[in-house]
Amino acid sequence: MLKSTFTAFYRSFVRHPLYALLNLLGLSLGIAVFIALSLFYRFETSYESWSPKLPQIYTIGISFHFPGMTDDTGIGSMGGLLEEIKTAYPQTDGTRYWPDSVIVHKGADVFNEQISLVDANFLTFFAVPVLYGDPANALSDPSHVVLSASLARKYFGVTNAVGRTMTLNDPEGLKAYTVSAIIADLPKNTEMKLDILRLITPQRTALHSNWHHWGSVQLATYIKFKSRTEANALAVQFPAFTDRQVGQSFGPDVVPHKLLELKLIPLADAHLVSPKLKAAVISLGVVGIVALALALINYVNLATARAGLRAREVAVRKTLGAAPVVLRLQFIFEAVLTLLLAFVVALSFVELSLPLLNSAGGLSLKLDYHADAIWLLSILAIVMVSGLIAALYPAFALSAFKPAQVLASSRTPGGGRTAGILRTGLAMVQFTAVAVAFVLIMGFMLQIRHIQNADIGFQRSNLMIVNSIRDNAVTQSQRDAFVAGASALPGVSYVTIANAIPGDTSSVNNSNIVRPGQVDSATESPTVNYSIVGPDYFELLGAKMLVGRVFDVQRGEDQMWGDKTTDKDRVYSVVISRRTVKDMGFPSPQAALNQTARFNDHTVRIIGVVEDMRFYNPNEPIPAKLYLFDAHASEAVVGMVRYQGLSAPAMRAKLQHLWRQIAPGVPFDVTSAADNLDKYYKPERDRTHLFTIGAGIAALIGCIGLYGMAAFNTGRRVREIGVRKVLGASAGRVVGLLLRQFLYPVAIASLIAWPLGWLALERWLSQFDDAIAMPLWVFPVASGVALAIALVTVAGVAFGAASTEPGKALRHE
Amino acid sequence: MTSLIELQNITRLYRSDEVETTALHNISLHIKRGEFVAIMGPSGCGKSTLLNILGTIDRPTSGAYLFTDSTGAQQDLARMNEVKLARHRARHLGFIFQSFNLVDDLTIYENIELGLLYRGGVKGGRRAVIEAAMDKVGIAHRARHFPHQLSGGQQQRAAIARAIVGSPDLILADEPTGNLDTENGAQVMQILQTLNQGGATIIMVTHSQSHADQASRQVDILDGQLVASVAQVL
Repeated sequence: MLKSTFTAFYRSFVRHPLYALLNLLGLSLGIAVFIALSLFYRFETSYESWSPKLPQIYTIGISFHFPGMTDDTGIGSMGGLLEEIKTAYPQTDGTRYWPDSVIVHKGADVFNEQISLVDANFLTFFAVPVLYGDPANALSDPSHVVLSASLARKYFGVTNAVGRTMTLNDPEGLKAYTVSAIIADLPKNTEMKLDILRLITPQRTALHSNWHHWGSVQLATYIKFKSRTEANALAVQFPAFTDRQVGQSFGPDVVPHKLLELKLIPLADAHLVSPKLKAAVISLGVVGIVALALALINYVNLATARAGLRAREVAVRKTLGAAPVVLRLQFIFEAVLTLLLAFVVALSFVELSLPLLNSAGGLSLKLDYHADAIWLLSILAIVMVSGLIAALYPAFALSAFKPAQVLASSRTPGGGRTAGILRTGLAMVQFTAVAVAFVLIMGFMLQIRHIQNADIGFQRSNLMIVNSIRDNAVTQSQRDAFVAGASALPGVSYVTIANAIPGDTSSVNNSNIVRPGQVDSATESPTVNYSIVGPDYFELLGAKMLVGRVFDVQRGEDQMWGDKTTDKDRVYSVVISRRTVKDMGFPSPQAALNQTARFNDHTVRIIGVVEDMRFYNPNEPIPAKLYLFDAHASEAVVGMVRYQGLSAPAMRAKLQHLWRQIAPGVPFDVTSAADNLDKYYKPERDRTHLFTIGAGIAALIGCIGLYGMAAFNTGRRVREIGVRKVLGASAGRVVGLLLRQFLYPVAIASLIAWPLGWLALERWLSQFDDAIAMPLWVFPVASGVALAIALVTVAGVAFGAASTEPGKALRHE
Repeated sequence: MTSLIELQNITRLYRSDEVETTALHNISLHIKRGEFVAIMGPSGCGKSTLLNILGTIDRPTSGAYLFTDSTGAQQDLARMNEVKLARHRARHLGFIFQSFNLVDDLTIYENIELGLLYRGGVKGGRRAVIEAAMDKVGIAHRARHFPHQLSGGQQQRAAIARAIVGSPDLILADEPTGNLDTENGAQVMQILQTLNQGGATIIMVTHSQSHADQASRQVDILDGQLVASVAQVL
């Protein structure tokens, strides 16, 4: 019996290659999309799963509820939070991760690396895989560092570098450190970059005035609990704890926990804590499921359609004594074989397309058959179970044919009215999905193009950002020398120093601005995001001045206060943005000009208003900005260089040459503003690429299904076509007849797709602060494209059938 | 000769929404083991319906269909469920159709093997049994071919081999020569004669009087009723 089933399966492939190919290709593509997007989904939802302690670990997140700011929860806390929690709750088991940059000296060369400043218990807390050294004590000595295996190989040529020394230059100075342990490289699905680890020292924390400043965010704090109940028990005490610790520092009538909400977030959820990111990941997961569903619909459609062609075989088998259950088993077994084969083909599709997918989606996915065996088996199980459920219908439909009727009829049975309605219904579902996908693809592309080309308030091209200036090892005279040197370079029009950097939130500061007569309260006065800028800053950016003037190095009142030069009675100049005008309650920029306000314990005068500039994520509203002027800004500043007439690499080379002359001990680090900003656009663009690939393949699957259906239905109507032609129908009329049969359901499906596409696109667009208006034209275009694809798919089959000679058609079967 | 089939008042009605058609009306017929019965009648008289009921791929609306197997056990097939009927067909019946009804995707050998597939019992000696059946109808040299590679006569001989491979109690032939030319039709009739002489019971629907004359009895049907059942001297 088994052999006979194998034979039937094998023959159906060899003798009906078109059907076999359509069926296998449709299924394999659907399964491949499902596997690839499952890989993506698993990658995104398994962050930090390298730590066996993951289920017990929570991280601190903060939601700020300041006026004019979004309420999104961010991961991170002020540096000293863990110490304060431990003082209040001594049993707390916690640790911290504080990423920073460090200069590594190797002979005469210097390299920029990321260093992770952590607590002494970090390695045991996370159970970080330690290759060499003692995890319990490796970090307890401040003169020790722990290296990742790849970094050990980079600097020492061997993995086991325990006992070797390396020289680091950081805010604590240039020192030699002993390597105390080597850890394994972490997989890519982690938010941590554990290359060099070192203890957080009191000397280091003393450098940070904000270490215990509630509202500041410096690092990630982790707490381990034995159970969720224990975590919840601490979380419920956070509001009272926040109120106690903050006291009156947010204002006299302010309840601190209503402004600053501390949250305990399971570490496993931390990567997708942003609802927008989570929704994006889920939607791609849904695309995978839809692709699989479309492929299975295809399978059901083609199998039931082919069931008609196999009716005679079924009737013969039944006549020869095959019981219905035996036939059902035969067809289900055939389905199992088809699904297994499709799964293998799908795996090879995934393998072949992963490099392309990784580059299109900015991913690093891979299939590891050994490590992922259980995961792959569960994916196989999902495919098999859903596939077998889908296969039940054709199996039952086939085994239900009545042999006497089938053998008496010269016409191929189509499975009756129910099967016909089912096939049409399923084809409609497929084409609805295809048309929705087209609507979304077009909508996504329009929005992505819009945010990439939108006027963001400044010129993002031909702008270099010299990050090296920010390094603690760079002196004031080196900064001044760089500005002077860069300004003299040919092609350079402006050079400035500032800590307001496009695409860089590392030095974002917020504070309240209070108009005369207003209450100075964190809950009532607007919050502004303030930055310190040097000469020529606005000219360099090409910012649009709405009213007033920019800072002038010649005017003494423009220079902001310094740590030692503060004068509480002086009025300092500030420039604000259009958004700040609105938040402060001025009716117009003009009305704000020359007005004074209290800001950071100083009186400031608004000397100018600039247009809003989008420096950060296009999904988020542009914050209210306030600019202070410092002719020799030093705190967390970078260099910015505007140039024209030469290429980015040429400019980079010139700047590098200059830098090596001025500060050879600090590695040169430059990025373009466009690249810096691209990190906000890239994830969205990558996900759109992934979506487009997934949805495009889903559309292809839909077309394969429609082609199969058209081929089958036309095959069944060969005799009818012959009769019509004998009665005088032209080939054109026959083609029209056949096309109408398919185009009606496709047309209806593409109309059903309009409201669905509208809802999905509206939802997606709502996540952008700067979103395009609903592009109405994409709906008819999506329907038109779906119809055109259907037309082309069916037309080939219809023309073939319509041009058959009537005599031949009537002899059919 | 012992009894094989006894039809008692078999009636078959076909009902659609508006029309009720009587395909067979009160047919009673007794067939003994080893008989070669030819059923004749004009088109639409109910011959094929009668053969389908005899072959248990259609059910009578009323009446009894008693079948006595080689052990002497008698069962009413009109009241048997589908699973048992399938088993009955596999063990006791062999079918030959006018349009051969070979499975296109299977070779001649595999098509003949189908006649044993659902029967159970034969395992090790299957190949020998199939080859013997092919030899009987002279089709052994075409074993590896597919049906469409064979002439009509060869296809029908293959279909006969499939019908006899399981040594059934009864062979049902529905116009077995209907799609064949005179020479091939004669060859098929010769094979059926030989099978009958070897002890096989055959019921054959035919339009050809000359072929009916080769049977041991002729049953005439008209408008769904049995009008004559005449034993013939061969």
